[in-house]
Amino acid sequence: MKKLIFLLMAALTIPVVLPAQEISLKGKELFGDMKARHIGPALMSGRINDLETHPTNPRILYAATAGGGVWKSSDGGATFVPIFDDYVQSIGVVKLDPKDPDQTIWVGTGETWTRNSVSIGDGLYKSTDGGSNWKEIPGFENSERIASIAINPENTDIVYVGVLGALWSDSEDRGVYKTTDGGKTWNKILYVNKSTGAADVIMDQSNPNILYASMWEFRRTAWGFNSGGENSALYKTTDGGKTWNKIHNGFPAGKLGRIAVEIAPSDTNIIYAVLETEDKTKNGLWKSTDAGASWEHLNSDFGLTVRPFYFSRITVDPRNPDIVVKGGLNGSISRDGGKTFKSLGNMHSDIHDVVFHINDSDVMYSGTDGGVYRSWNGGTTFEIVENLPLSQFYHISVDDAEPYNVYGGLQDNGSWYGPSSAPGGVNARDWNSVGYGDGFRVLKHPTKNIIYSEMQGAENVWRYDVDRNRTKTIQPLPKKGDAKLRFNWNAPMAVSHHVPDRFYMGSQFVHRSDDMGDSWTIISPDLTTNDPTKQDQSNSGGLSVDNSGAENHTTIFTIAESPLDENILWVGTDDGNVQLTQDGGKTWNNVTANLTGIPANTWVYHIEASVHNKGTAYAVFEGHTKGDFKPYALKTTDFGKTWKSIVSDDIQDNAFVRNIQEDYVNEDLLFLGTEMGLYVTIDGGKNWSHFTNNMPPVAVHFIDLQKQTNDLVMGTHGRGVIIIDDISPLRELDQEVLNKDVHFFETKPFVMVEDSGFSGNFGGETQFVGANKNTAARIVYYLKKRHTFGKMTMEVQDMEGNKVVSLDAGKSKGINVVYWPYTTNIPKMAEAKTLSFGGFTAPRVAAGTYKVVLKKGNDTYEQLIELKYDDKSLTTLAERKEQEEFTRNMFNMVEDLAYMVYELNEYQDKAQEVIDSKPKGKKLAQKTYDALEELKKELVVTTGDNYVASAEPQLRERMGNLYSGIASSYDRVSGAQKANYDLISEEWREAQVKFAEIKKKEVAKLLSFVEKNEIESPAIKSKEEFLDKD
Amino acid sequence: MKIFKTLLIILLMVAVVSATAQTADEIIDNYFENTGGAEAWNNLQGIKYVGSANAQGMTIPVEYYLTKDGKQLLKINLQGQEMVQFSFDGEKMWTTNFMTMQPEEADSETTQNMKNQTMDFPDPFLNYKEKGYSVELLGKETMEGTETYKIKLTRKPMLVDGKEEPNVTYFYFETENFVPIATEAEVKQGPMKGQVVKDTMSDYQEVDGLYFPFAITMGGGQPVTITEIVLNPEIDEAMFLMPAAAGSEEKN
Repeated sequence: MKKLIFLLMAALTIPVVLPAQEISLKGKELFGDMKARHIGPALMSGRINDLETHPTNPRILYAATAGGGVWKSSDGGATFVPIFDDYVQSIGVVKLDPKDPDQTIWVGTGETWTRNSVSIGDGLYKSTDGGSNWKEIPGFENSERIASIAINPENTDIVYVGVLGALWSDSEDRGVYKTTDGGKTWNKILYVNKSTGAADVIMDQSNPNILYASMWEFRRTAWGFNSGGENSALYKTTDGGKTWNKIHNGFPAGKLGRIAVEIAPSDTNIIYAVLETEDKTKNGLWKSTDAGASWEHLNSDFGLTVRPFYFSRITVDPRNPDIVVKGGLNGSISRDGGKTFKSLGNMHSDIHDVVFHINDSDVMYSGTDGGVYRSWNGGTTFEIVENLPLSQFYHISVDDAEPYNVYGGLQDNGSWYGPSSAPGGVNARDWNSVGYGDGFRVLKHPTKNIIYSEMQGAENVWRYDVDRNRTKTIQPLPKKGDAKLRFNWNAPMAVSHHVPDRFYMGSQFVHRSDDMGDSWTIISPDLTTNDPTKQDQSNSGGLSVDNSGAENHTTIFTIAESPLDENILWVGTDDGNVQLTQDGGKTWNNVTANLTGIPANTWVYHIEASVHNKGTAYAVFEGHTKGDFKPYALKTTDFGKTWKSIVSDDIQDNAFVRNIQEDYVNEDLLFLGTEMGLYVTIDGGKNWSHFTNNMPPVAVHFIDLQKQTNDLVMGTHGRGVIIIDDISPLRELDQEVLNKDVHFFETKPFVMVEDSGFSGNFGGETQFVGANKNTAARIVYYLKKRHTFGKMTMEVQDMEGNKVVSLDAGKSKGINVVYWPYTTNIPKMAEAKTLSFGGFTAPRVAAGTYKVVLKKGNDTYEQLIELKYDDKSLTTLAERKEQEEFTRNMFNMVEDLAYMVYELNEYQDKAQEVIDSKPKGKKLAQKTYDALEELKKELVVTTGDNYVASAEPQLRERMGNLYSGIASSYDRVSGAQKANYDLISEEWREAQVKFAEIKKKEVAKLLSFVEKNEIESPAIKSKEEFLDKD
Repeated sequence: MKIFKTLLIILLMVAVVSATAQTADEIIDNYFENTGGAEAWNNLQGIKYVGSANAQGMTIPVEYYLTKDGKQLLKINLQGQEMVQFSFDGEKMWTTNFMTMQPEEADSETTQNMKNQTMDFPDPFLNYKEKGYSVELLGKETMEGTETYKIKLTRKPMLVDGKEEPNVTYFYFETENFVPIATEAEVKQGPMKGQVVKDTMSDYQEVDGLYFPFAITMGGGQPVTITEIVLNPEIDEAMFLMPAAAGSEEKN
């Protein structure tokens, strides 16, 4: 009895499951078939952090990228594919297991060349199946950036991991870690303090108990950087990490900065190190020939000492200890053991890693700020890998062209614009350069063909007249009495919705121009905190001064003009202020104190002024430069008096937010650009869903919603421009819809686009090509449940219920997208020896209303869609109707011929049967056969092949070509086509007469013989049966 | 007391339900159980699929033959002409050259890979251990918007440009009914090499006691609709043999 009571208790504690009513508004189910598409560009690629070769297979190469995940090449670096798209995209290091290099791959996340714009990682990952599946290794969640992985080649369960750690804050998650059980348990075996991490950890492959580790004291803030300190040092262990000793014999005393270290694989007593010291003459390359016991200084050329935090990688030729390569602005190579260096050949600047081919030192791969390069001649000439779309956008915008263009600026790769769709896909050649240096914001003038762009710190702001191909620099300049202007590295610009020639820029002031940047007026006081302790960048960098402008602080970062009122302007600053004017800049209201839940001085990354209400705005904040990665997004509806957080627990706690985009129709539909990808809410921020359909969790820096198409366009910092076509179905999603078994979403009338240009391309076999927007009719519906058992079909019908064409229905739970390219079925062609290529043209349907009919089991669901002709059409409506009629006539003629040839073949078969089996009828049958054969030779091709041995075209081929020419044309039927139509109709009539005659004479005799001799009559299908296409 | 008994039964049921489908083998057993039973699957000698591939307004009739002893043939019909897309008689594989419409022998690597694949009949999971395949349950995943079990199937290695590479396909079994609704595999050759493509399966229907998917999308989007499946069809063995190339009198 006691037991039963216990059971009863247990039963009561089982959660009671109520009948499901509220359907979850989140998760992967929500988006179903809605997929992102990537348009690159790849022509300038993006930053590479680390390269890794396979120990035995030279076809295999891995690239760890700064913001675009891990890519694998299996063709010797000709092309790459991404293999880490479900995880954080900022990567520090990739390492292959020396014993099991095909299957076991380690990835340490978080880039390690610690410039101002770096992203973050979230730990250590391992795949044991060649990169198909990954497991996160517990213990490294807060590592932020992993620089090194060293694996014992004799026992690959022994692994050392060098954690560089947090860039903007103290952290105990740093130093060297060791596992002896393949990653299950870890010990921290070298740790210095909260601000000193492991920069390089390398192993002597001939004695795996010997390791070298360089420890680096470093810290970045929003307004400065420090490299170096008393705690930076180079260590060595000879007992697998139990004891570590500093090996500084010969090094100068005092503070050290980042130390690069590498062992010559062919002679492990030779060690190279690159030092950053207090004494400039001692910076650069050091060499030891006694495994680190003593050191000699060899070289302090610019190429060896430049920006140690950004370039600290040494590579030694695996076969020759005297050939040494050092990453740098251009990269340097020595062939005399490090005494002298020359620059590597031309390629994109900023070389972070170089690797040698495993068998041939002439072949080298280089990882730069602009992708992976290959050299075939020992580093003199380099060529770029063309299919790595790793472009790192800071900002994007769109225009209203058809197809619309995307504009944006890139880390170290200038400013560009390119089409969202192009013939043959969005190719490298479709992108146009509109700015040098680092590119940031690029904006199109609202009415003129003029583009504004800028480089870092507004050193240049360009106004580019596209039609005349003229540029002018227009940045605000100080005039008498002005304070020194402080522009952010990524200086804000905005064009007015209300006054087309109006253009805003932000320093610490708001600058307004009403003549496209020719003259400027300051319309605000200093809107920042103007904190002088954050304004001394001249000493930034630590041991090596690094004053690039990247750390300029206490500046305006975002300017938002209300789309509803030209006098309302929102401003956000990098030091945490939100400011508002409602009178065009006469008075300003600092509303920072009204913010809720935002730590003081948290960077205001973006403000979005709402189209729904003048007093409504969204502001997103991010504190990553203070080590705070939490997502922050607020909404106000009363001009900033009160704010409400619209972030929920659905958003990962390290997904700091850089951008928000509201929908223009449904105020509850919002898109959040975070460091870990895109989040979407359909209920005003109560629930958020991570969008992962062909969308890696890449840092989304800027989002725009293109108004005409409802396309969501994202500028990512590592995977270029990513687009989700037509998000309008998300506007309709609510509980009522989600509770229906099937729901069709409303669609705007579809325009049957008539573009028919060329897209020839050679030499692009290994190039990335961006996916185009599908211009077909887009039929979107929701299924409550995945359809797995039983029949489900979809077809298009005209309004009388006649079937136009079958479509292949999507069966996913959630949103399904089916495309219909406005065509019906191709004609049935006459059978012949070869193919008639004209016969593969499917006729287009006329404009009008059509029914989409979905049948699922016994249920039928219908939705009307409307098709419109292209406004840009070359024809009048009357001409088009004539073209449709000609198409119909030709289609029928083609099928009539097909039926005639079918009939003819059936009679021929019967004749052959008689010839073969009835000697008595042989002569008669032969005569029939020959008469039919003679006619057939005029009707269809009976010899040759589909290529250069093709026969003379016969009636079928000529008829098919005319049909195809008329059916596929977007112009009126030409005079030549009409004359040709007369000719072919005439020939067709003659053929019909001939066939009728043969049927009357020879065939009739044959059939009569057949009947008398009790042979089975030919079973000729009716034309309807013959044409039946299902 | 009666109520306690009922509760006990419920609790036992809960335990049983949560214990089911914990392993790949249980999922696979359920799959065969739900689609006609392993015995019936084992008794199959051959399958003929009749259907169509749909592309850009074209409906291309397709016939596909598979036999237990490893023969395969895929035939399409273009403008009334039958073309053997590929045929394999257990030893030799041939295709039809689209330009000349003449048979050509497939390259040795493709043939070898096809030979390794013949054991798949009628389903790669049937007696997978005897075939030397291995399976692994990787957990649950949302696929096609719904909850699935992800099972990794490793078949015999395949040859790629002269080198052996692992031959892995991921199958997604819907948790609700234990039938596969999607597969994913890496493309090993050609311009798509290295990319992962997904196939989906739906519209499962019964054929003489066994369940087959009648709607399939292949290679990430190419839809194939099955109209008829014939079990143990009459098969003319001669059709698998490679015909002699046509004589020169055809050339002109």
